[in-house]
Amino acid sequence: MTQLHNAFTLFLSLLVEAMPFLLLGVLLSSSLLFLTDERKLINKLPKNPFLGALVGSCVGFLFPVCECGNVPVARRLLIKGVSPGVAVAFLLAAPTINPVVIWSTWVAFGEQPQIVIFRVLFSLAIATLIGFVFSWQVESKSILQPALVKLLWAKTPSPKFSQEPQLERVPALLQSGTFLLDRGEALPMDGSLFDALPSFTPSTTSLSKSQLFLNNVVQELRELGGMLILGSAIAATIQVFVPREFILHLGQDTITSILAMMLLAAVVSICSTVDSFFALSFAATFTSSSLLAFLIFGPMIDIKGIGLMLSIFKPRIIAYIFAIAAQLTFIFTLTYSYFF
Amino acid sequence: MSNSFLSFPKNNQPSPKFLRWLDVLVLLAWGLLLLKYAITGQYKLLIHPNYFSLIVVSSIVLLGLGLLKTFIYWQSSLDTIDNDEHITLLPTGWSGTLLLVVAIAGLMISPRVLNSDTALARGVSNTLPLTRSQPQAFRTSTKPEERTIIDWVRTLNAYPEPDAYAGQPANVTGFVIHLPELPDNYLLLSRFIVTCCAVDAYPVGIPIKLEGNRTAYPPDSWLTVTGTMVTENLASTDSKTTKRQLILAAKTIKSIPTPADPYDY
Repeated sequence: MTQLHNAFTLFLSLLVEAMPFLLLGVLLSSSLLFLTDERKLINKLPKNPFLGALVGSCVGFLFPVCECGNVPVARRLLIKGVSPGVAVAFLLAAPTINPVVIWSTWVAFGEQPQIVIFRVLFSLAIATLIGFVFSWQVESKSILQPALVKLLWAKTPSPKFSQEPQLERVPALLQSGTFLLDRGEALPMDGSLFDALPSFTPSTTSLSKSQLFLNNVVQELRELGGMLILGSAIAATIQVFVPREFILHLGQDTITSILAMMLLAAVVSICSTVDSFFALSFAATFTSSSLLAFLIFGPMIDIKGIGLMLSIFKPRIIAYIFAIAAQLTFIFTLTYSYFF
Repeated sequence: MSNSFLSFPKNNQPSPKFLRWLDVLVLLAWGLLLLKYAITGQYKLLIHPNYFSLIVVSSIVLLGLGLLKTFIYWQSSLDTIDNDEHITLLPTGWSGTLLLVVAIAGLMISPRVLNSDTALARGVSNTLPLTRSQPQAFRTSTKPEERTIIDWVRTLNAYPEPDAYAGQPANVTGFVIHLPELPDNYLLLSRFIVTCCAVDAYPVGIPIKLEGNRTAYPPDSWLTVTGTMVTENLASTDSKTTKRQLILAAKTIKSIPTPADPYDY
């Protein structure tokens, strides 16, 4: 019972910490509705897949959100027509490549500037590389839930769809969302994606943008909030029922300490704006390359965030991103450990 | 079957009206929950006080959104965007219900102060050598008897020579941990340090030498201990070697209630 109460406290602690940032992200993403020239903005993005991914990684500077806030923004960017590669790069880089996080890392690790510099460089490199890989994904169907593909393509298009031909030009990925199975069919959890589409065609709705904004905020908050709750519940459970020593004892040499800190980063699920202070508490017990691994990997992938990412990708794609990000983090920080 | 989203039978699904008001309730409940934490000071059990303003602002924004939504739904003709065919989907209802249930649970169940079980699970014994680096600057100018447990740990980190502090007076407050590796007449007086939220709280502590047996001071009880710092050789965490370290020899021990802000930062 005590353990359960502890888990509940940690669960609330994660939620109370993440909720303001989720709110900020949702407000930012919904305010993108007001961007009237989003098409121009997107047209200005480099067509070259590599440059596109690189620019996508740096977009985080415009949206200083941590990993609770970047998912709604990435979703909105996708809806606005950004290619999946750019969106993936943004999703992975934004929690680290933004002024707030760089500043807080500097506050924590000012005495070891190489940690600050390499956190930024490695995160940028990993996000760009993964974004680059995903930009080759021409067949967006394979990123989609098979059930969604069935739902979208096998059925007769609804009148709403046929009235909006531009919908077909939007990559099918954009029409995804979180799908839960119900009576053998997948149900999109995600009405906001469809509701947001009228912003492309203002003539189809008589609603003012401010009402669209409000509705969008509430819908995204509700949907992503639900996923955040599931992710936080899992993270809190692991925190309470798996002793931290178990993870820490894994890390005694160069290689295992990197792996242990990456595992810890995924389990602890704390926000990237403050994770450098947390990492600092391990500065005396762990190698600096493993701290770097913690700081790079944590913002990209954690248990709480996976809940949110499920609202964009299907689980298999998240597993791919997870695996590539983990391998690159490991290789980069291992290389770092040989030079510093 | 003209609209695939309308093809599901209605009987299993909450009505659009219910879902609209569910949204309102979610916003208001979360606004109230954050407001409750801000007013009661319970936020100190969950997150670092630096985020206090963040909680207050979020609570105001959520309550504002909730009231705005209420107003719009009250004059329901104003609001037509919530396409029923999307809103009536069952999973949407689940997400809102989940949020509402958690908020209500949060309003009813107060957060719990992290205890010695958590401290042991998070490796408080690691702090016996007292070698952790700290994010905050330590306050060197503090007089010994005004140092908190965390100040002592930081001071020791900055200058890890136990003998330098022997004989200094001390007056510290913390909760009791019965470390298995310490003899029966020792306990660990401990505090959690929070850098971000309760999730990352990690414990530090000072061993206290008692006159008698530690059973008089059960785990998790809060004590204010005054005494003198001494150095002793104690069994280290692996129990095979001994380690010379700073110990507080207790003169007076006073039981106190759990403080409202049990963590240090």
